[in-house]
Amino acid sequence: MDIIPGLSQTASALDANKQRLEIIAQNIANAQTTQGLDGEPYQRRGVSFVSVLQGANQKGVAVQEVFTDETPGPSVYNPSHPHADGEGMVRMPNVQMAVEMVDMISASRAYQANLSASKISRQMAESALRIGQ
Amino acid sequence: MLDNMFQSASYQASKAFLDVAAERHKVLASNLANAETPGYRRVELSPSFDNTLKASVANGSLQSFDPSEMSFVEDQNPAFRSDPTGNNVSEDQELMLLNENALRYEALGQFASGSLRQLKTAITGRSS
Repeated sequence: MDIIPGLSQTASALDANKQRLEIIAQNIANAQTTQGLDGEPYQRRGVSFVSVLQGANQKGVAVQEVFTDETPGPSVYNPSHPHADGEGMVRMPNVQMAVEMVDMISASRAYQANLSASKISRQMAESALRIGQ
Repeated sequence: MLDNMFQSASYQASKAFLDVAAERHKVLASNLANAETPGYRRVELSPSFDNTLKASVANGSLQSFDPSEMSFVEDQNPAFRSDPTGNNVSEDQELMLLNENALRYEALGQFASGSLRQLKTAITGRSS
């Protein structure tokens, strides 16, 4: 029996959502990167979550994999760009700012919700320690 | 005789419900943690266990309460709607239940403290 109940599940969710936020930040930072290390335009990354068993009926959450979104990005006409092809078209990353922002809000909301859950766990542990006083 | 000191029905009940509230908190915390895991189904105290507990409170047979009999099942309540992946956790609902459960825990703790204080008063013959 843990002194502070439910903390390991909450901690795993905080960790997973932080990783998700890091990936979103990376997507936004690279929204205009037309050439990565492999010479290709940046492709947006995403995370997929999976449950991990941490005891009877107690499931934490973990990042299963960081996947690459293979949808092709748009091409824009910009002949003066150093990465333009023979016809003056530049292939842009497939990052859509609106999608990333919405994702970021939901990740930070999930983070906040779990943070409140950890606060509640703490309060419960404190009230258990006060029994008999 | 010393054993009998702690056998009052209400004290036994507060102990049993403290155990249940602590376990339920863990389960609610994992529901919240998995709010965005595809296909996760929220877990809740099984209705049959809830009924047995209520029945044993009603007929004062809580001495035989065994916390390990507590069982949790996937929630079948249609009030929790599933998203396209089959996940039926709602963050707001879960947070609300967590708060409610924590308050209940706090109240039960106070109640247990009160029972112990009464016992102390009876032993020492003076209050506090």
